[in-house]
Amino acid sequence: MSLPAVARKDFQDTVRSRAMALLIALFSGLLALMAYAVRPTGEGEGFATELLLSAFVGPILLTTLVPLVAVVIGYNAVSGERESGSLKLLLSLPHSRADVVFGKVIGRAAALSLAIAVGFLLPAVVLIAIPVSFNAGAFLGYTVFAMVLGWVFVSIAVGCSAAASTQRRALVGGIGIYFLFVLLWGTLTGQLLGAFESVIDPLPVSLIQVQTFLEVANPNTGVQVLANAFLADQLFAGDMRNQQISATAMLVFWALAPPLVGLLKFDRDDL
Amino acid sequence: MTAIELHGVTKQFADVTAVDDLDLAVEEGEIYGFLGPNGAGKSTTINMVLDLVRPTTGTVTVLGRDATADSVDIRRRTGVLPEGFSVYDRLSGRKHVEFAIESKEADAEPEALLERVGLSPEDWDRKAGGYSKGMCQRLALAMALVGEPELLILDEPSSGLDPAGAKEMRDIVRAEADRGATVFFSSHVLGQVEAVCDRVGILRDGTLVAEDSIEGLRDAVGGEETLDIETAGVDETALESVRALEGVSQVTRVEGSDGRIRVNCADDAKTRVIGALEDAGVGVSDFHTEEASLEDLFLAYTEGDSASPGTDGDDEETAEAPTDGDEARSASDDEPEGDDDEPEMEPEGTERDEAGEADGTGERAEAEETEETDEGTEETDEGTEETDETDPTATTEEVER
Repeated sequence: MSLPAVARKDFQDTVRSRAMALLIALFSGLLALMAYAVRPTGEGEGFATELLLSAFVGPILLTTLVPLVAVVIGYNAVSGERESGSLKLLLSLPHSRADVVFGKVIGRAAALSLAIAVGFLLPAVVLIAIPVSFNAGAFLGYTVFAMVLGWVFVSIAVGCSAAASTQRRALVGGIGIYFLFVLLWGTLTGQLLGAFESVIDPLPVSLIQVQTFLEVANPNTGVQVLANAFLADQLFAGDMRNQQISATAMLVFWALAPPLVGLLKFDRDDL
Repeated sequence: MTAIELHGVTKQFADVTAVDDLDLAVEEGEIYGFLGPNGAGKSTTINMVLDLVRPTTGTVTVLGRDATADSVDIRRRTGVLPEGFSVYDRLSGRKHVEFAIESKEADAEPEALLERVGLSPEDWDRKAGGYSKGMCQRLALAMALVGEPELLILDEPSSGLDPAGAKEMRDIVRAEADRGATVFFSSHVLGQVEAVCDRVGILRDGTLVAEDSIEGLRDAVGGEETLDIETAGVDETALESVRALEGVSQVTRVEGSDGRIRVNCADDAKTRVIGALEDAGVGVSDFHTEEASLEDLFLAYTEGDSASPGTDGDDEETAEAPTDGDEARSASDDEPEGDDDEPEMEPEGTERDEAGEADGTGERAEAEETEETDEGTEETDEGTEETDETDPTATTEEVER
C-alpha cells in the first residue's frame, strides 16, 4: 500500500508551501480583525461566536479564501510535477497512478486542514480576549467545517490537475474552478434553470426544489448550510434536514468524483 | 530469465514514430549499455519499460512481468534513475531517500545510501531545491539503490556529474552488477558505456542498428584509417583522382582551411593516396594517419547516412545532444580508459568552449561540437602534441549534408 507514503510525502511538501502559509496567515489575520471589528460595543448584548461565524466569517471569508487556498495548493499537484519532472522520480518508485492522485488529495487536504487549524487559533485568542461570549465548541466545530470545505476544493483542484497535460491548462482549470464555484455559480445555475424550465415543469419536482438542490450542490453553499445548521444546533434535524442531506451528498460527490475523473485521464496519458 | 524484453515494440506519437518495431533483450545479470543520439528513441524505450509511456504495438516484459499491467510490482524490484527529472525543492535529501525507502517498504539506512552516492553529510538535511544538478543526480541514484533492486535502470546517469562523479557512478554500477543486479543504462557517450558494459546496443531512428559486446564492436571497426593531409591547395580534379583509388572510401575537404583534406581508406592505400595527390600536382606539406576508433564506429552508426560501420570522420566523439555542458564534460573523464582507441589525438575544438553550453535540444551538428569541445579540451590537457587547429566538425558536417 503506497498511498500513505505518497500522502505523507505530499503533506510534508505542502506544509512547507509558502503560498499556503501566506494565504492562511491572511485568512487568520482577517478573521481576527473581523472578530475585533464586530465586537459588541456595549449595547450589542446578543452578539456571540455563532453570529460572528455565520453572518460574517462564513459568507465573507470562509467561502472566498478557503477555496482560493485549496485551488492554489491543488491545481499544480499533478501537472506541476509532470512539468517539472519530479513525477518521474515519484513514478520511478512503486506507486500506481491512482496512488499518486489520491495520495496527493489526502496529503494536500491534510496540510490545508493543519493550516486552517492554525489559522483559527489567532482569532480564537482575539475572541477570548475581547468581551464576547466565546463558544469554544461552536468555534472548533466551525473549524472542522472549514477543513471539509478545504478538502472538497483540494479534491476538485487535484482532479483537474491530474487531467491537465500541461501546467497552463491546470492553471486555467484552477481559475475556472474558483470562478465557477465562488463567483458565478448562482448566475450560471439561474440561467440553466431558465433554459430548462420547460423540461423541469412536467417532472414531479418543483422548480424551487431543483433550485435549492443546485444551490447546495455548490460545495461552498453546502458547507455553509451545514455549518450554520450546526451553529444553530439544527444539524440533520428540523425542517431543513433534506437540504442538509443533499448538501452532504454533494460534498461527498465533489470530494470523490473529480479525482476519479482526473485519474481516468491521467492513467491513460503518456507521461 | 531475461530482465528486459521488448518484442516488436512500436511507439507512434502524433506525427513521429519514436520507436519502430524494436526487439531488445537484456539478460539477467548483465550490464547493458543503451546508446544512441537524441531523438533515437532511447528515452521513449526506457519510458515504456517504466510504463510512463505505453507502446502502440508490441509487448514489453520486465522481470518476467508485463510492463503495463504489473508496473508497480516491477518498480518494487527495480531501481530507476530517470532522465530529465527534478527533485522536490522543499524536501531535504534525507527526506527523499526516506520516501523511497518507505515507498519500497525496504529496510535501509538513508545515511548509508546518501554516503554511498557521495553526498556530503552537511547537505543531507538541506532542502534539495538548493542542490546542483550533480547532487540531484546523486540523490536520485541513492533513491534508485534503495532495497537492493534486481534491476537498475539508469537513464543518462552521468549527466551533471563531474569526471570524478562519473567515475563514482561507474564504480557503483559495477558494484551493483557484482551484487547480482542487472544494469540497463542509456548514454550518448560511448566512453561511459565501454568502460563498464558487457554488451551495448546502439539505437538509431527507433531501431537497433547494432548490438554486441565492446570487443565485438571493436572487431567490426576493421582496418580503415583516416588520413589527414595538409596541402598547399587542392582542386576537385585531384580529389576525384583520389576518390577513384582502390581502397578509398571517402574523401572530404576540411572546411575553413585552404588545402586540408581527409581521406578514409584502407591501411594499404595510404601511399597510393599520397602518390595520386602528387601526381595531380598537389603539394603535400604534411600528413598523419588516425586509426578508426570505437567513436568512429559509433559515429557511423548514429550519424552517418547509412547504418553500416565505417570511418566517416576522424576522431570525433559522436553523440547526441548532451543535456548540458556538464554532461559532456563527464564524458571526457572516460578518455583515459578509451585511450587505446585513439592513438592520435588533436586538441580539437579547444577554441570552441562556448559550444559546451549548447542547448540539449540543439541540432545534431551543434551537439557534436559540444562533444568535441570537451573531448578536445581533455585531449589538450593530456598534452598531445598535435597542433591542428582546424574545425574538427568539418568532416562530419560535410559527410552528413
